[in-house]
Amino acid sequence: MLGYILRRCAMLIPVILGVVFIVFVMMYITPGDPARMVLGEQAPQVDVDNLRVEMGLDDPFLLQFGRYVYNAVVHADIGRSYITKRPVWNEVMTAFPVTLKLSAMAMGIALLVGIPCGIITAVRQYSVFDNIITLFALMGISMPVFWLGLLFILLFTVRLGWLPPSGFDSIPAMIMPSVTLGLQSVAIITRMTRSSMLEVVRHDYIRTARSKGQKESMVIWKHALPNALVPVVTIAGIQFGILLGGAVLTEIIFSIPGLGRLMVSSIEMRDYPMVQGGVLFIALAFCLVNLGVDLLYAWLDPRIKSQYT
Amino acid sequence: MQTKKNSLWGQVFGRLKKNRMAILGLCILFGLLITALFANVVAPFPFDEQDLFATLEGPSATHWFGTDEFGRDILSRIIYGSRISLQVGFVAVGFSVMAGGFIGATAGYYGGRTDNILMRFMDVLLSIPQLLLAISVAASLGPGLLNLMLAVGIAAIPQYARLVRASVLSIRDQEFVEAAISVGSSDLRIIFRHILPNCMAPIIVQATLGVAFAILTAAGLSFIGLGLEPPTPEWGAMLSGGREFIRDYPYMTIFPGLAIMITILGLNFLGDGLRDALDPKLRN
Amino acid sequence: MNRKFSYRRGAKVSLMALLACMIALPNALARTSKHPDTLVVATTYDAKTLDPYMTNDVASSNAMRQIYETLVTIDDEDKVIPSLAEKIERIDGMTYRFTLKKGVTFHNGELLTSDDALYSLKRAFEKGASVRHIMGVIDPTGFKKIDDLTFEVKTIAPMSSFLPALTHFGGGVIINRKAVEAAGDDYGFTPVGTGPYKLVDWKKGDRMVFERFEEYHGKRPEFSKMVLRVIPEASNRTIELESGDVDIAFEVSSLDISRVKANKNLELKTLVDNATTYMGFNCSKAPYNNQKLRQAITMAINIPASVKAVFRGNAYPAFGPIAPNVKYANTALEVPQVNIAQAKKLLAEAGYPNGLTTVLWTNSKKVRVGMATIIQAQLKKIGVTVKIQVLEWGAYLQGLKDNKHELFIVGWTCQTPDPDMAVYPTFHSSQIGGNNFAAFGDKEVDALLDTARITPDGPERKAMYFTIQDMLREKAPWVFIANKKIAFGVQDYIEGFVPSPYGFHALYEVTTKK
Repeated sequence: MLGYILRRCAMLIPVILGVVFIVFVMMYITPGDPARMVLGEQAPQVDVDNLRVEMGLDDPFLLQFGRYVYNAVVHADIGRSYITKRPVWNEVMTAFPVTLKLSAMAMGIALLVGIPCGIITAVRQYSVFDNIITLFALMGISMPVFWLGLLFILLFTVRLGWLPPSGFDSIPAMIMPSVTLGLQSVAIITRMTRSSMLEVVRHDYIRTARSKGQKESMVIWKHALPNALVPVVTIAGIQFGILLGGAVLTEIIFSIPGLGRLMVSSIEMRDYPMVQGGVLFIALAFCLVNLGVDLLYAWLDPRIKSQYT
Repeated sequence: MQTKKNSLWGQVFGRLKKNRMAILGLCILFGLLITALFANVVAPFPFDEQDLFATLEGPSATHWFGTDEFGRDILSRIIYGSRISLQVGFVAVGFSVMAGGFIGATAGYYGGRTDNILMRFMDVLLSIPQLLLAISVAASLGPGLLNLMLAVGIAAIPQYARLVRASVLSIRDQEFVEAAISVGSSDLRIIFRHILPNCMAPIIVQATLGVAFAILTAAGLSFIGLGLEPPTPEWGAMLSGGREFIRDYPYMTIFPGLAIMITILGLNFLGDGLRDALDPKLRN
Repeated sequence: MNRKFSYRRGAKVSLMALLACMIALPNALARTSKHPDTLVVATTYDAKTLDPYMTNDVASSNAMRQIYETLVTIDDEDKVIPSLAEKIERIDGMTYRFTLKKGVTFHNGELLTSDDALYSLKRAFEKGASVRHIMGVIDPTGFKKIDDLTFEVKTIAPMSSFLPALTHFGGGVIINRKAVEAAGDDYGFTPVGTGPYKLVDWKKGDRMVFERFEEYHGKRPEFSKMVLRVIPEASNRTIELESGDVDIAFEVSSLDISRVKANKNLELKTLVDNATTYMGFNCSKAPYNNQKLRQAITMAINIPASVKAVFRGNAYPAFGPIAPNVKYANTALEVPQVNIAQAKKLLAEAGYPNGLTTVLWTNSKKVRVGMATIIQAQLKKIGVTVKIQVLEWGAYLQGLKDNKHELFIVGWTCQTPDPDMAVYPTFHSSQIGGNNFAAFGDKEVDALLDTARITPDGPERKAMYFTIQDMLREKAPWVFIANKKIAFGVQDYIEGFVPSPYGFHALYEVTTKK
């Protein structure tokens, strides 16, 4: 197992290098001049040109890329923000915990609501309850998060005045963003739990359990649920990765100083080192979450574990 | 072979017909398509006609959904907006299916080093969250309809590549493929004539749901401001424009959002229905 | 049983009375702050850095105003008055001698000396400094230290705009040499000034927290703490103001203005800022080297209606190149009237009886895009077909440099209290390729601009700028669009908040009503 983990981690290296390269290419072809962004709209062109040279922006592409990788690998230095002049690492590390907290809360809501809903709908298949929740789940998947967020603000802030529309530093402020970001996952987990439960219920061992005269609730809780949750855990893990990357829109709507908003504003400001560092970090987090999901899956399902030795 | 295929699709359609949700989805989609095609007939006003003396009006008999900050008819803009959204959805997904399909088929069919290189490259793309990837691509390409489609499309390539590769792997060693190889068919012919048609089912399901996702992503990009040039009526951009008026004129936010939601809902209904119809095993 | 029941009822009644008291109480007493020792301000953007020479944006300048000081500053009437410099002598036309105030300390305990002042001015002038163009009149070889508190600075020409330039919160800020050298690249986050507040915490994109500097040499601020919160969404700033979580909200959106006005707990303050939004013509090539065509287009645009639609009451239609609050702006000028018939006639005289097709550039700023959309619709009426292109700034400026532009919408801010900054960089022929985006070159205008900038302040200089404004309206290199009105929402228990048209506000002067 340890060997497998190490091998997977080693495989991350070329992937991350690839990410750096791709982002570098994208930033290279992006129109716009970071030096102009640093100096502002009204600065004369001569100053901008000089600064470009100083920042190394006129160097050939491969030299710039090589320099970045060299500094990152040898000096563990991923540069400084063009705009704030602060180390990218510091900037990312102030923004990332916020995004992590937001995604974790969204995920928590998704699990707490999604799994029970999924179980109920599966147990009472084709009941009114099932139909309503299934329909709601489909609506949840179809709803653009940025619209949902605005509707929440409209209702809970503008009409009712219960919750603050911005920030992420108190419990009331956290409610709307977490629910907004989590709703889609609630829907996905509900659907997954439902279909997984229905799948499991058809298996022989459940039939055996039933035929042995066990109580239905016992069958559901003891035999069906643990097995049905295996794919749900996987989906939840994948969802968590998606939430980390998808928090951008939620962060923008609720003015939350997370990594997503930082990325978008850095792209706008042509702050290349920030974009580089941010994408690198998110990609790494994303890969690690996926690795974690795989391991968890293996641990939960012994049939797969044997493949990893 | 030909007859067998026809009857397969016939069966699929037969099953689809029985699924009320899927039929509803199909109707929504069909309605949208008609609206988009005949937008200039259906819409009561041109999408860019301004009336500076009738700005920010609530819904009325003339303007069913009200007017925006330039006095433009919101209903008409939503109607014209369906053109943009459907175009972006279908073209982007078409692009990613073709590119992803090509990559996946090549990787799966040839295997070995080709497979390794292509799929590692896909892994790299997959390791950047899709929305963030689309944002970066959209920023580096600049505004415009084609660029928006490309941004959304590129971000979705890896998932189709993976899907097609897996299907190809499962089919490659089957007898009819081996037979084709033994009679000396070219690789391209084998891939296009024999392999791809046999892994269409999962691709179609994925693509239907993909269109929904593409429309959502495109609206999200427009919402951030990485979309189209004005006065193009794009739903996401309309939503974002309505944001600052939300306290007094919430319908500027509500209606475009509703349009997006109904479209996505329709596509999801259809996608779910197709999945059930194509894979009877999965039916509950 | 009966007794128990009445007991319960009694409890109910007293509970309700208590509730009623709780509801009535806040209204009965005078309102006070939710956070009495802290001033909380909702701003629009976060500062980029607090290293004064590394940025030139309003949000940073505003934060810097609370922690730094300049040699000279301006009073409410835009007159230059001493600040860190106690005495300023103009030795000859180009040499100034400054004497610093004695006993001023920096936040790190260091005493302010002429070394610091000279170091600051030199640094503002270095390559890569974002404020260079503002400090552009300084002669880099003319710095001279006399003693610890006295020094001399030379300018390259006898220019009246030199002292006003020193009031800029960025370019004119005085920093501590030792602190800058010790912090290196991190200085922007560990700023050391002489101002009334010092920075204690900065959560990027969220908030900046300041603490009162107890050894401050000037008037002691009332609030021991100050927080600048970043809330980009305008309606959210108003909501936070209404709930009492913030004391002052910047840039209240036009839609919320009536709401703030109607709220008896809030007060609204407005001012016109020194930026002018305009649509420029590329005067250097066809078709817009044709003055009649420029006039025709100017005349076809209904500026007041457009400004009202786009800025929704948060701007005044512009009447000329100098914003109304800048010195020597001719506020008696009227906004040109729309006249379609006359515009069509001029268009025909200019040689375009059937109109023309043209390209209009803008960047993605919302109001500019909105303005472009309206101009497009209005010019249709005289047969001019406009194609809008939304360009990213870099591409935009590259296009201007390559002289590919035809029509373009942009803004220009007069960042110092002198009209030279408003019209010289934008209309003098020597500035083509720089900020004279319209590529406008006119001998008469050039000559006047050259003389006006070296003429000492007074009626003569004023008359020159009035003539310049008339000439620019006539020759029409720009369609003057708007001067933004900025509204601030303030709690009624707050006093002494005077917003500045330059965008950096003296928040340390704010107090509570007693």
